Amino acid sequence: MAETILFYVLAGLLLLSAGLVVTVRNIFHAALYLALALFVVAALYVMLGAYFLAAVQVLIYIGAVVILAIFVINLTRTVTGAPVTLTRRWVIPAALVSALTASLIVVALLKSAGTTGAAVPAAAVGGEGAAAALGRHLLGDFVLPFELVSVLLLSALIAAVVIVNKDGEEDR
Amino acid sequence: MTLTLTHYLVLAALLFCLGVYGAITRKNAIGILMALELVFNAVNLTLVAAGRFRPQPDAVGQLFALFVIAAAAAESILGLAIILAIYRRRVVVNADEMDLMKN
Repeated sequence: MAETILFYVLAGLLLLSAGLVVTVRNIFHAALYLALALFVVAALYVMLGAYFLAAVQVLIYIGAVVILAIFVINLTRTVTGAPVTLTRRWVIPAALVSALTASLIVVALLKSAGTTGAAVPAAAVGGEGAAAALGRHLLGDFVLPFELVSVLLLSALIAAVVIVNKDGEEDR
Repeated sequence: MTLTLTHYLVLAALLFCLGVYGAITRKNAIGILMALELVFNAVNLTLVAAGRFRPQPDAVGQLFALFVIAAAAAESILGLAIILAIYRRRVVVNADEMDLMKN
């Protein structure tokens, strides 16, 4: 029962902060609300027993992606002193599309709710064993995607350096 | 009333649609990228919850979420680098003003 209450509190917080990310006019505030939303998702991972993934979420998403976004916000803002407010477009069509999509998915989910099974006992998966199981999968039957991800990250890193660097040399 | 898979899937669906709304309405390219991060997180939540509520729960759902996080990190790095390069060249951050290839 306590778990259910905690889930609803976290869900409300997540939807509230995500709604603020997409509607608030100051982009710096949007980045901070994004950090809050990602942290709540990490808390939901803990509730699902995915402790390792929660740590990865905090380290990579909040520690790297949000910080990087804040860096770029500051770099593109302070040079000209341009206003930080965000303009919006197509609000009504976008709201219509996302509301219809949401109602479609939610209705389909609720109709099939009986078939998706009952709750699994909490000790079924997760805990300290989950990280070990993840490592065994990564270097076992998923070793090829694992290596491909390392190539992807390396090429993204090199490409980012090249894109940002070459332009500056040519123009200044 | 206990928590079921449906709880998490409905929450993830709502988060996904909020992210889509943001990606459509935002003009600022950084804002679009941040809305896309919400979409990625909705997908990850779906994957982890589906792996957790399987008849024989295992770590494969978490593994897929890990791959999605790696791909999202690469996407975010490249997207921000492109935004920065365009900004240095033309001092625009709004996606509809980036029309170099339009004419």
